[in-house]
Amino acid sequence: MLTCKEVLESLSDYLDADMKEDIVNEMKKHIGSCSDCRAEFDTLTMTLKLYKHEAGEVKVMPVGCHDRLVKVLELEKLRSKGAPPPKMV
Amino acid sequence: MPAAVTDEELVRRSKEDDERAFGELISRYESKVYSLALRMVRNPEDAEDVLQDTFLRAYRGIKSFQGASTFSTWIYRITANSALMRLRKKQLPTISIEDQDERETPVNIADWTPGPVEQLMTQELQQEMDAAIESLPPEFQQVFILRDVEERSNAEVAEILDLSVAAVKSRLHRARLKVRNRLAGYFSDSAKPKRRIMGAH
Repeated sequence: MLTCKEVLESLSDYLDADMKEDIVNEMKKHIGSCSDCRAEFDTLTMTLKLYKHEAGEVKVMPVGCHDRLVKVLELEKLRSKGAPPPKMV
Repeated sequence: MPAAVTDEELVRRSKEDDERAFGELISRYESKVYSLALRMVRNPEDAEDVLQDTFLRAYRGIKSFQGASTFSTWIYRITANSALMRLRKKQLPTISIEDQDERETPVNIADWTPGPVEQLMTQELQQEMDAAIESLPPEFQQVFILRDVEERSNAEVAEILDLSVAAVKSRLHRARLKVRNRLAGYFSDSAKPKRRIMGAH
């Protein structure tokens, strides 16, 4: 029988399904019968769900971001070819 | 350029000064790099600086890129390092995560889990979630974002951050607990009845 300490230390692996089947069964049994460990499991599960929900949001690049990146790289190309830097107007 | 051209081929051509090939690599990865940068530095201006720094370093280093990892892993590694440097410059001194959130037996946590995620999600909660990530030391932020927000595997995160899988798992577990504890505090506070301000009508 796993102790609460062992269950808590293994919660991440359990959530990621990254453990052997016999340990998974022991974890299930413990979490099913220990309300404290179940609260730990439920809140950790919900935490990850909240962040996964956020992960679905696409972060859009600001307008002009691509053009500024291209300009920075063009300046770098000029520098690497030994051309003098463009005069600041 | 046709999408069928592999990253490896584009890298090979970029090494031969084919600027169109490097341009195609930018097109393929700029929004992913920006997205990861924004999640790490949480500020559009800093994220754009990280984006520019990342592709500048890639441009300068493409000829020495050996291909031991994929181009995507390589570019995310550069992004993560650039973001980390920026965070370290800004970071106020923090208490080591080693000293925090370590407990041997579970404590009672207010049950804030019922209901679908969509119903819980508010702008205030979103800010609290960002603040929870921000409260982590930068090295733990990186692991948490790559693993639980960008949804990469432990092996990929290990490769991007040049860590062992065991180190990724250890950091991830601690980061998850710390983030969860912060959110538990938020839900516990928001469940309390608001105190009436004396003198208010």
